[in-house]
Amino acid sequence: MKKYNQKIKLGIIFITSLFVLNACSDDYLDDTKIYAEDSESYFNSESDYYNALVGAYDPLQSTFINVLMGEIASNNTLAGGESATDVPGYQQIDDMTHTPINEQLQNLWSWMYGGVNRAAYIIEFQDKVDFSGKAIYIAEARFLRAYYNFELVKWFGDIPIKPEGRFVLGDEKTIARSPKSEVYQLIEEDLKFAIANLSYTAAQIGRATKGSAQALLGKVYLFQDKFNEASVVLENVIQNGPYVLENDYNKIFEFSGENGSGSVFEVQYTDVEGAGFTCLQCSEGNVAVGYQGVRGYQGDLFTSGFSFNVPTQEMVDQFEAGDNRKDVAILDIDAWATSTGASYTTGFEHTGFFNRKYIPRKRSVNAAGDLNLTNPNNYRAIRYADVLLMAAEAFNRMTTPNDGKARTYLNMVRIRAFGNSSNNIASSGQALTDAIYHERRVELVGEGHHFFDLVRTGRGANIPGFTSGKNEVFPIPLEEIQFSQGNWSQNTGY
Amino acid sequence: MRKLISLIILLLFTVYSFGQSITVKGVITDESSGDPLPGVNIVIKNSSVGTQTDFDGNYSLPNVSTGAVLVYSFVGYQTIEVTVKETTINVALKEDSQQLEEVVIVGYGKQKRKDVTGSVSLVNEETLDILKPIDATSALQGTTSGVAVNLSSGAPGAKINILIRGVSSNTNNQPLTIVDGYEGDLNSVNPNDIESITILKDAQAAIYGIKGANGVLLVTTKIGKKNKAPTVRYDIYTSVQNTARKLNYLNATEYALVLNEAYGASGQVLPFSNIKQLGLGTNWQDLLFNDALLTNQNISLSGGSENIKYYISASRTEQEGIIAKEKSNFIRNNIKLNLGVDISEKLNFSLISNYFTSASEGFDGSLLFNGLNYAPTFGQNQDDTNNFLGIEVINPLSLLKNTFGENKGNGIEGNFSLNYKPNDRLSITSRVGYKIYNEKQRSFTPIYDYGASKVYNKTQSSVYQFKSTSTRVNWETFATYSRTFADNHNTIFTLGTSVQNDLFDGIYATGFDVPNNSYAFADISLTNRQSEQRSFNTGNGDIRLTSFFGRAQYDYKGKYLFSGLIRRDGASVFAKDKRFDSFWSITTGWKISDENFLKDNKTISFLKLRASYGTLGNLVGDNLYRSLLNGEGTYVFDGNLVDGVAQGRLPNPQATWETAEKLDIGLDINFFEDRLTIVADYFEETRKDLLIQDFPVSGLLGSGSPGGANPTVNAGTSKNTGAELALNYKLVNTENASINLAYNVTYVKNNVTDVLGGAFVEGGSFGIGNLAPSRMEVGQPIGYFYGLVTEGIFQNQLEVTNHPSQAALGSSVTSPGDIRYKDINKDGVIDFNDRTNIGKPQADFYMGFNINAKYMNWDFSTYLYAELGKEMVRNFERFLPNVNKPNYYLGRWTGEGTSNSIPRLTNDATNNKLFSDFFVEDASFLRIQNIQIGYSFPEEYTNGLGLSKIRVYTSINNLFTLTKYTGFDPTVNGGAIGAGIDYGTYPSSRQFILGLNVTF
Repeated sequence: MKKYNQKIKLGIIFITSLFVLNACSDDYLDDTKIYAEDSESYFNSESDYYNALVGAYDPLQSTFINVLMGEIASNNTLAGGESATDVPGYQQIDDMTHTPINEQLQNLWSWMYGGVNRAAYIIEFQDKVDFSGKAIYIAEARFLRAYYNFELVKWFGDIPIKPEGRFVLGDEKTIARSPKSEVYQLIEEDLKFAIANLSYTAAQIGRATKGSAQALLGKVYLFQDKFNEASVVLENVIQNGPYVLENDYNKIFEFSGENGSGSVFEVQYTDVEGAGFTCLQCSEGNVAVGYQGVRGYQGDLFTSGFSFNVPTQEMVDQFEAGDNRKDVAILDIDAWATSTGASYTTGFEHTGFFNRKYIPRKRSVNAAGDLNLTNPNNYRAIRYADVLLMAAEAFNRMTTPNDGKARTYLNMVRIRAFGNSSNNIASSGQALTDAIYHERRVELVGEGHHFFDLVRTGRGANIPGFTSGKNEVFPIPLEEIQFSQGNWSQNTGY
Repeated sequence: MRKLISLIILLLFTVYSFGQSITVKGVITDESSGDPLPGVNIVIKNSSVGTQTDFDGNYSLPNVSTGAVLVYSFVGYQTIEVTVKETTINVALKEDSQQLEEVVIVGYGKQKRKDVTGSVSLVNEETLDILKPIDATSALQGTTSGVAVNLSSGAPGAKINILIRGVSSNTNNQPLTIVDGYEGDLNSVNPNDIESITILKDAQAAIYGIKGANGVLLVTTKIGKKNKAPTVRYDIYTSVQNTARKLNYLNATEYALVLNEAYGASGQVLPFSNIKQLGLGTNWQDLLFNDALLTNQNISLSGGSENIKYYISASRTEQEGIIAKEKSNFIRNNIKLNLGVDISEKLNFSLISNYFTSASEGFDGSLLFNGLNYAPTFGQNQDDTNNFLGIEVINPLSLLKNTFGENKGNGIEGNFSLNYKPNDRLSITSRVGYKIYNEKQRSFTPIYDYGASKVYNKTQSSVYQFKSTSTRVNWETFATYSRTFADNHNTIFTLGTSVQNDLFDGIYATGFDVPNNSYAFADISLTNRQSEQRSFNTGNGDIRLTSFFGRAQYDYKGKYLFSGLIRRDGASVFAKDKRFDSFWSITTGWKISDENFLKDNKTISFLKLRASYGTLGNLVGDNLYRSLLNGEGTYVFDGNLVDGVAQGRLPNPQATWETAEKLDIGLDINFFEDRLTIVADYFEETRKDLLIQDFPVSGLLGSGSPGGANPTVNAGTSKNTGAELALNYKLVNTENASINLAYNVTYVKNNVTDVLGGAFVEGGSFGIGNLAPSRMEVGQPIGYFYGLVTEGIFQNQLEVTNHPSQAALGSSVTSPGDIRYKDINKDGVIDFNDRTNIGKPQADFYMGFNINAKYMNWDFSTYLYAELGKEMVRNFERFLPNVNKPNYYLGRWTGEGTSNSIPRLTNDATNNKLFSDFFVEDASFLRIQNIQIGYSFPEEYTNGLGLSKIRVYTSINNLFTLTKYTGFDPTVNGGAIGAGIDYGTYPSSRQFILGLNVTF
């Protein structure tokens, strides 16, 4: 019996020890980490940096909306679509009647900030572990952040920035919109770091190179009218970079021309993975391509789409006689139907023209659906021709112009376009400036650049419905203004 | 001590001094079974002298003086007093069911029902016996006040939702379920094994702290009785089930006429030229619904000896589905072993265990939707090859044929408990509860072409497989110390600790190109190994809780009752500085009927006033404070897809649990010797820090990225106010006959009082392309329907012209025969700003009415359930020109004065299909849940067979529903925001049951 009592006593001690045990509950509650890698415990090896970098490239695919909507905003095209109420956000921007309530602008805002944050995620953890070649990952991350920030500053003007890392809940109420100049300063720093740490060839096709960063920096300078700096960095690309103009302008926009000799930076797409309307930004395909396709099309070479972003007659008339680029850039659907027997239906604001560079091509039977959303056409974000024309503009507009160089670069583009040098430009000064502007419009039509070229050169009023002093930038989405609780004010005029 | 000894001596002396002393002997038996009862206490009244019966029920007590009174008492039996006249006294003790019923479990302890100061309901095994639920949850519907039960679907094995005193949260409203001390679920417990379900509805549940806010169900399973001969009970019932309702849809002829009219109105070519030959066409509902069988068998063995009590049972339920019989079957097996062992007088051990397996088949939720919308002019095996019905509507029989899936689960749950009682005052319990559940899913999608461009089309077959194990372990230790001071001051102190860990481990995979396009080969190992799409993933979770709790109870003469409790919880799912909180409550009661002025009242036999107030938590979500790398970070390098990583849902380091503040004021009053009992309660609950998933935040934070999502934010407050009343009346209560009537009613009003940022949160979906129909908004109930208000039909062009333009709604076409919308904000334009509150999915009132009657060997019962003041959204119509339609279109507008409620038929784009009150229906209902009649064979007959009881019965479940709602089932509901939207959900079945109970 005595023994028995002993056992009971031991039991009581054991039970009371439970209370003590429970007192160490802090550690107990903390121990769950092993079961899920979370964002803050990541970056422990080179492969972690690589994986996060892939994640930071991913939102580039959502820039389809920047290209599509940017082109619609310009005087190159009309919104089109099925009817006047098909994607109201596009229709309003086409008519310059857009307001802070615009679902598509809200998408662009949040998708680009998604990109900023993914790049900033790597930058935030850049010092966590060391390994050889880490600088390349950081350089690419900074290139990507510059790319996304540049898109945001182009669209919205002053924007919130956070150089040290990601935005967190509450920042919208405390971090003010930085003036454009400060945003550009951050972009320039990011790009200079990228230039210093990248080489002209990347480990994989699709990744940013030194040339990508230089060309983007040149463009960023151009947007700030820093022509001297632009001329230096752009000439550097031309002289030191591996780029040559692809002889066949048509080839550039076909699948065979992807990542070609004139590709300075290219957004990569594929159709091996499916996509749906509920998450357009999740598509691995180029959503803009399906949106721009010919409605109800059946016939050779192309497949059907939603007939958005249709070029106007005025745009088509910009091509000079003998310009080989016209039939590559513009699909005259009536002529095409007549010659090939293709059929199609007409959508809203039908002009008879389509953006041939980026309409759906016929593709493999294994392409994953929804086929309208998974077109694999890469977006040639920065082409060598763009670099040449930017260089030409920089040399023409710098403090002490060098029109000779400007003409050389301009005419390199024109020689390819016409197949001869008899259409070369010989003018100087303002006439040369105008020629360069004209050349940019026709060379780059359908690629989403024209609206911003007009605005940065003070020619926004060329766009029907454009209000100077207002429409140079787009409104901050109303919801964002509300989330900021007074921290951000709306752009002038909206 | 010396005092005590002298007292005993004095007492003994007193006994001696009265008359002659003798030795009393006898046998104590159970009155009903005649079995001897060991362990019965026999004490000489007013003394501490006594003895106990031995294993055969015999006792012997020497030195008893004649004329003394012997008190015979035994737990669970009525106490009897006998005056000593002779030396042999045999006593037959009567079981005291009344006394047993009066004890309720209140969380880490028991209380006499009459001493309870919180709001508590009880559902006992008799109710479960009558209702024969497949899932014991459904037995709570209508049987107890304050509890609403609704189905997520009527499909066999589907989840049943319980709401205690209304919806408060939009994340989780399910009460905590504690089965014999471990956290479990009702759907894995065999209802036959349940002895009682206690429902804690108010702040008394604060003893469960962070998990108590939605109320607590305390389930007690049977464990047998000590000193009771083995009893075997066998139950079997079988039932034929069918659908309680089919919807009135157009037959082929009506359908063709209606289509022709719509095409004609739009100036299009008529699709049907020869209507006469069409006849009735195919009735898809008739083909989809079938009669189905349901059988349940249950066998149990229970009893006990001096030191052991036990209960063992096994059961099997097989339920066929009333739709898609071969594809929605459900099987559940249970094996239960409960054991209680007295290791010594002071130490007791118990083991509770429940092993269960379940199997159900895959079932496509859109089957009925397709069944309603598919055209009656198509033949049974005819697919819509030419895309006549749009891309989302397909032949339901083809869909059924191509639906393959299974879901199998098995698990074991229970606890080990050790109880040590060193003396009468102190009791220490330590127990380990556990639940291990393994689940296995497989679904196969074959290659099939349902017709041109159908979204269901598959050009590649795939098989999805999923395996998971969930493990929950809980270790609780608590001590109870009770003591009475100065005779009248009774106190009980409880102090305890609890540690819990919930683990989840799962692996998911999808393979493509299943050999032979056949379910027989649907296994990932056989699929195409080269496929790029082949995918594998794992999921895991680890949730930890640690708690301390304490409770002090005090009463003065059992008349004035107070209790206070506190629980401190820590939960790993929140950020480090947000993990701990304390919850508390105080309850108080006053037994007025114990006061002198009421003590001997002939009318009022019991009267108690009680009140409680406290705070409780609702633990929802996991990892809200941190971001997992489960976003989509896929890009293309070198022409190939490369999977990177990206953050998923945005973290919210500030996230914390929801907190409820509950107030309850109640009155228990019994009349006429407790024949009429009334329990009335008024309650208020304020639920703060409501966790709202996917709460809209600035795009700056990057939630718009692929695979990203908005964070879960504590962003609202809601308030429930209500009252409940439960009446029970024993109309007749004689030896041969009894009639018992019970009625309960609950009123709940929900009101959202705060949403972060002053905005609203929306959800749910209606049709395609419509704005979200459900909202959570300040000043409105959670999940109310937000849409346009109709004001009849435009009868002529003049009315159209005089009415504000409806063009801003999307379609510029407004013609006579179209719906006229009300200009709610009176701005002269009808647009989406004219939307307003057009209904709510949660009822104002829910109530139950039950009758139980017995006469001689016959028994009869019926259960009614009603919900009043709720609406549902008819969302099973696909608005396309050629799909089939409900037959209300036969009463459509066809010219001035023809209809002022059903719009015209046209194929033009109109605004008639926008979300408006046209699609919101009154879904109040009254349902006869159960009606039953049974007959127990007389004893003479059963004894001859060596049985103690045979009962046969027949009953009907879900006999009849009185409602204006035109959908399948007004009880099918769902969560908070987005609840009450009917997508054509599987209705609950009507069951015709025949059953037999045998006991021996």
